[in-house]
Amino acid sequence: MGYEPQADFGTPEVLSEITVTLTIDGRPISVPAGTSVMRAAAESGGSIPKLCASDNLAAFGSCRLCLVEVDGMRGTPASCTTPVAEGMVVHTQTPRLQRLRKGVMELYISDHPLDCLTCSANNDCELQDTAAQVGLRDVRYGYEGASHLGLGVDSSNPYFDFDPSKCIACSRCVRACDEVQGTLALTMDGRGFASTISAGQSADNFLSSECVSCGACVQACPTATLQEKAVKEIGKPERAVITTCAYCGVGCTFRAEMRGEQLVRMVPWKDGKANRGHSCVKGRFAWGYAHHKDRITSPMIRESIDQPWREVSWDEALSHTATRLNAIKAQHGARALGGITSSRCTNEETFLVQKLVRAGFGSNNVDTCARVCHSPTGYGLKQTFGTSAGTQDFDSVMDADVILLIGANPTDAHPVFASRMKRRLRQGAKLIVIDPRRIDLVRSPHVEAAHHLPLQPGTNVAVLTAMAHVIVTEKLADEAFIRERCDWDEYQDWAAFVADERHSPEALEAVTRVPAADLRAAARLYATGGNGAIYYGLGVTEHSQGSSTVMAIANLAMATGNIGRRGVGVNPLRGQNNVQGACDMGSFPHELSGYRHISDGATRALFEADWGVALDPDPGLRIPNMLDAAVDGSFRALYVQGEDILQSDPNTHHVAAGLKAMDLVIVHDLFLNETANYAHVFLPGSTFLEKDGTFTNAERRIQLVRKVMEPANGMSDWQVTQALANAMGLGWSYSHPREIMDEVARLTPSFAGVSFARLEEAGSLQWPVNAAHPDGSPIMHEDGFVRGKGHFVVTDYIPTDERTGPRYPLLLTTGRILSQYNVGAQTRRTENSIWHDEDVLEIHPTDAENRGLNTGDWVRLASRTGETTLRALVTDRVAPGVVYTTFHHPSTQANVVTTDYSDWATNCPEYKVTAVQVAPSNGPSDWQRDYDAQARQSRRIAGHAEAAE
Amino acid sequence: MNVDTLVMMANQIARNLAARGEEVAVAAVAEHIRDFWDPRMIKALHEAARDSLEPIARAALTRLGDSG
Amino acid sequence: MKRVARISDDALSIACGAEAVAQAFEAAGCTVERVSSWGMHWLEPLVEIDGIGYGPAMPADVPAMLDGTSAKCIGKISDHPFIAGQQRLTFARAGKTRPLSLEDYATTGGWAGLNRARSLEPAQVVAEVLQSGLRGRGGAGFPAGVKWKTVAKAAGARKYIVCNADEGDSGTFADRMLMEGDPFQLIEGMAIAAYAVGAQRGYIYVRSEYPHAIAKLNAAIELAAGIIAPLRLEVRMGAGAYVCGEETSLLNSIEGKRGEVRAKPPLPALQGLFGCPTVVNNVLTLAAVPHILTEGGASLYDSLGVDRSKGTMPIQLAGNIKHGGLYEIAFGITLNELIYEIGGGTASGRPVKAVQVGGPLGAYIPPDQFDLRFAYEDYAQADALIGHAGIVVFDESADMGHMARFAMEFCAAESCGKCTPCRIGSTRGVELIDRIRAGGRGVDAVEVLPQMHNARKTRRSTEDDIALLEDLCETMKFGSLCALGGFTPYPVLSALKHWPEDFRP
Repeated sequence: MGYEPQADFGTPEVLSEITVTLTIDGRPISVPAGTSVMRAAAESGGSIPKLCASDNLAAFGSCRLCLVEVDGMRGTPASCTTPVAEGMVVHTQTPRLQRLRKGVMELYISDHPLDCLTCSANNDCELQDTAAQVGLRDVRYGYEGASHLGLGVDSSNPYFDFDPSKCIACSRCVRACDEVQGTLALTMDGRGFASTISAGQSADNFLSSECVSCGACVQACPTATLQEKAVKEIGKPERAVITTCAYCGVGCTFRAEMRGEQLVRMVPWKDGKANRGHSCVKGRFAWGYAHHKDRITSPMIRESIDQPWREVSWDEALSHTATRLNAIKAQHGARALGGITSSRCTNEETFLVQKLVRAGFGSNNVDTCARVCHSPTGYGLKQTFGTSAGTQDFDSVMDADVILLIGANPTDAHPVFASRMKRRLRQGAKLIVIDPRRIDLVRSPHVEAAHHLPLQPGTNVAVLTAMAHVIVTEKLADEAFIRERCDWDEYQDWAAFVADERHSPEALEAVTRVPAADLRAAARLYATGGNGAIYYGLGVTEHSQGSSTVMAIANLAMATGNIGRRGVGVNPLRGQNNVQGACDMGSFPHELSGYRHISDGATRALFEADWGVALDPDPGLRIPNMLDAAVDGSFRALYVQGEDILQSDPNTHHVAAGLKAMDLVIVHDLFLNETANYAHVFLPGSTFLEKDGTFTNAERRIQLVRKVMEPANGMSDWQVTQALANAMGLGWSYSHPREIMDEVARLTPSFAGVSFARLEEAGSLQWPVNAAHPDGSPIMHEDGFVRGKGHFVVTDYIPTDERTGPRYPLLLTTGRILSQYNVGAQTRRTENSIWHDEDVLEIHPTDAENRGLNTGDWVRLASRTGETTLRALVTDRVAPGVVYTTFHHPSTQANVVTTDYSDWATNCPEYKVTAVQVAPSNGPSDWQRDYDAQARQSRRIAGHAEAAE
Repeated sequence: MNVDTLVMMANQIARNLAARGEEVAVAAVAEHIRDFWDPRMIKALHEAARDSLEPIARAALTRLGDSG
Repeated sequence: MKRVARISDDALSIACGAEAVAQAFEAAGCTVERVSSWGMHWLEPLVEIDGIGYGPAMPADVPAMLDGTSAKCIGKISDHPFIAGQQRLTFARAGKTRPLSLEDYATTGGWAGLNRARSLEPAQVVAEVLQSGLRGRGGAGFPAGVKWKTVAKAAGARKYIVCNADEGDSGTFADRMLMEGDPFQLIEGMAIAAYAVGAQRGYIYVRSEYPHAIAKLNAAIELAAGIIAPLRLEVRMGAGAYVCGEETSLLNSIEGKRGEVRAKPPLPALQGLFGCPTVVNNVLTLAAVPHILTEGGASLYDSLGVDRSKGTMPIQLAGNIKHGGLYEIAFGITLNELIYEIGGGTASGRPVKAVQVGGPLGAYIPPDQFDLRFAYEDYAQADALIGHAGIVVFDESADMGHMARFAMEFCAAESCGKCTPCRIGSTRGVELIDRIRAGGRGVDAVEVLPQMHNARKTRRSTEDDIALLEDLCETMKFGSLCALGGFTPYPVLSALKHWPEDFRP
């Protein structure tokens, strides 16, 4: 497609059942009541000049260019703030209006730079367009009056500049920050002619202010006042491709705006149903890793991990790898081989990797990185509701009255959805936060949680059972709903269980450390406050009782009737862009695509017939079991696509030992990641900009990923997997990912109606998409649960085996920060590191004082598993006895200290609870130094200077 | 396979399902292991010292042996 | 028995030396009663002893006033022509009661309107206000009853009454006098409004320059709390911005936001304070209500005035005038009567050159138009405005070109900066008037550049610049978001029209 600016109707769409008919410039038009005259005119194909209006912001009425005349109304009202009325007769082009608009424009231009031709917004500037539209030819005021032309540029933000001399004071940036992003970092400072945009306090610049660099202000700016640095450097884009972001599970849709083969900027697409035109600092700006010097574009092999890498041709790499795989299979059997799919790759790529393992390797030893994040969600929701997925679309939050947020930190990890949530909270919805840490949503501008339950890490089940106790014993349960939709006998068993006095908030207070009165109030609010919607994250799943917690959440939703309609539901906030999709595609060792168990003969037969091979009927190994089996000698070869298990999986020493024990480790990635230090084959990967395919976000929304540029390595990832399969003799012949999706649809009932053509046409589809739901399913379980009757599961609180004691008296919990993503492989290779260039340990002032620690001190963080060092940040955001860090930087290796404990049902690691000790330190540990040296050694490439990390 | 790990896993499953009552729990533990474990893990657990297994896990393993 | 001297504690009287006079009376063994001001400013401090007035009084005059020999005696105050000629409804208690005396208030008819209102259905209260013909006294003249009806009918659990007491127009002081002199009457008016529309809370937004009024209001609210319950009132202090007298900026300011104008619609009556239905009325509007709600009050009010301008208006005479003060009279009076007969002409004794009615944004009116009737529609017809009924008199020494410049300068200083015509236009207006008065301009340093190929390369005449000023005024008048930018052209254009010679170099 060419480069067309996104259409802007001036004011937000209004939904109303009442239609109003009016006449604009002689043309009759019917629009929903409440629509502005401006929008009505735009919808009828007219164009009223405007500068301060934008259809993602409430009408403001400040620029005074959109004035119109209305028969029977005095004066010249602004069309943006004037709602339509039945029979209204509007004139948008009269001599008086033309005079007034020209008069306003003459004022604007009397205080604006005149060298448009060399401006970065030349030909992409609303001020310029509007000046042309009104026909301004002379600025009679002259150019020597008071002006803002001497103001300096703030270039502190790494991605965009703020040039106040070009500012027309329309407040669109301020309003975008307030209304769209909800950070309220920008303000209009001063008044009258002296009005200027200010980030934070007057002493601040954009970088030092509270600005989170979401880009909404840059997007909103009609001039070059807020402009991407890339546009200034490269020039105006000349074409745009709609694609889907490859960071978190929100799944924002972007326009990749290109100049030739060069990406100029990523701009959130207004028609994207997940993000509705909004973005965060990662998706909007942090794509520079795609061109980072660390990127490997040539295949490489080596015999052993102490050798340098040798760059080889694709043919050599693939035949070498296939030969080794076939040899190991011949010698040790199919079950000695396995693969790991990536939640960052497309559905099609993921499907191919699991197909390669099942049909090519001949085992079910396939797992995915969801193992370490949301596997309990899949298990828990399948058990209770019948489907391994969240129940709502993101829009649903706008109908929620009470939001219960458990173990999630959306403003950092799912920022675009957090902005939606904050918008709803500003409208008056109530918020309950269950989190050991005082996350930003507990209290931030214009948002305050009604209840924050700062529980002891590891006691989720106890807290949720206590809430259930309150709901049942205080008779707040929705019995009519339960009788109709759930198994009543099971409910009664469950109700009797939770009603036991040992589950009362008072009885559990000693364990949870949540004041009983607060917990009771929160439970009452959730049960009685109207539409109750639960959102949760990895603070729920990454525990020894992760699956139990998911089921306890589902129990609460069923008991209160908060399921099956808009505004309610159980919503896992997925960590990675395609966690949902990777799970859907059959990445788990025990199930085929669409969550059908491998032992089911009929399902297997379907695949066997399509693929022409016999499939192993038994479940395969999960990632931690693969590593165990490797040490044991029964698992010997691993193909890892787009995941860095050494950095992301728990107990790094154990992961390293497992990898070291294997005969063949194939890493398929953009970079020589930490896992690659133990690899024998490196297959260069492609970025999301270099491939076609689909991602499925947290709301089950399948969205197209479109190739924006040619792969730097010559092949998209699905092509690499296919080439490897063919080198092994499988004879695949996919010519485009759409054919892979056709195969998925053919073999998977919930995807039966999905095809690239349908996705092109609909924009996106939420599965299930089938005969019953041809247009997809925004809300699930509307007419009954997928499994039939909702299943109440008794969830007993079993304390984790990871206990604090005299040697390890503190509990470590882990999380994410806004500017970095996961192990940081991408974001660390962008300017985002300006906000977060190292992981730090948050520690409560009391614990810090006891240890003589101050903010900035090096500390040794030790657990029963291992130790690392990092710097301390003393803060009361964490409770006494709890410490917190992120895991974005390999130099910290937080997972050196995390343990092997995991969820009882899925083996999802217990990242959120590790008993630790913290002590002053002089700097990096011996282990960190050794690891660094080993990594440098391992990353050598023959003929290259030493690779830098 | 690391037998200690497998015993720990089996015991953990048993403890989490115990609240359903012993009879249901034994069946549920057996079903869970059959559904989610690689055969070599089940085999290794069979070969492990049974006294390190908690009663429900032990009974479940017996049942797995019976059916498998 | 001690003699009683009644002296106003109004801020103007205090500024004129009332405290020293009061002390002198006490020293002379008298009882001093501090009452409200009669509103004859040239006589302050005015002392009343047994109904007889003396002013302007000095401490040295005390003995003579006590023995009745003072040359400052004006006779019986109520018979003074300035007072006798008035029709005081809103200011009926002026000079007569102690501002914070609940007893004085009750014995002079206080609470009668509220008590009667409470015996009626809220809708009947609204109907009586409609019937009275009362229009907003803040400047726009919007029928108060219509506004109340809108708020009463609006859906919403929370509603508010907001009193606009950000009296910022030049030459106005009626709000201040009312708040200082008869605060209970304002409170009673707000209580009636709250009852009529179903509001639970009220705010009085007072400019920070009125510390005496704020103190009196706070004290009066505390005293009257039991009487007006369940309504709760609170005083909010402004921070010096003229534009916060505009109702939507005022609401933003109360909410703690930037004092910036909101676009209408939505009307504050539907989405006002904190997004809830809100009555925003001026002090004088609300203070007129208790009288209207007394038995027969609405009919009496409706019987006064002319055409659609009903009832009385507390007119404020200020500037270069001999007898300045508060003059409450039914609509219809002319400027001739007000300036010459009542005001006694200029204080300087020189001929009147112009008056400005309605604050800094009102038109300048030349003496040949002084037969204009004081009524909303008559003024609008003459491109003038009544506003808050402040009249500022200028004698022949006034430079009307300078006054036009001042209007633009005032607008530039007070602009909130939201809309373009006001934000940039007012600054350009100042520059332009300076340029006109300096004799026009040549090609400027930018226009002269060869790169500025499209720019005009010839000198611009004064006529060109005057045409530009007129265009600017049109842009501001029809393009501005609120009355600040929208009305600034009135003083500018009226000065340009009537005194073009004052714009020549």
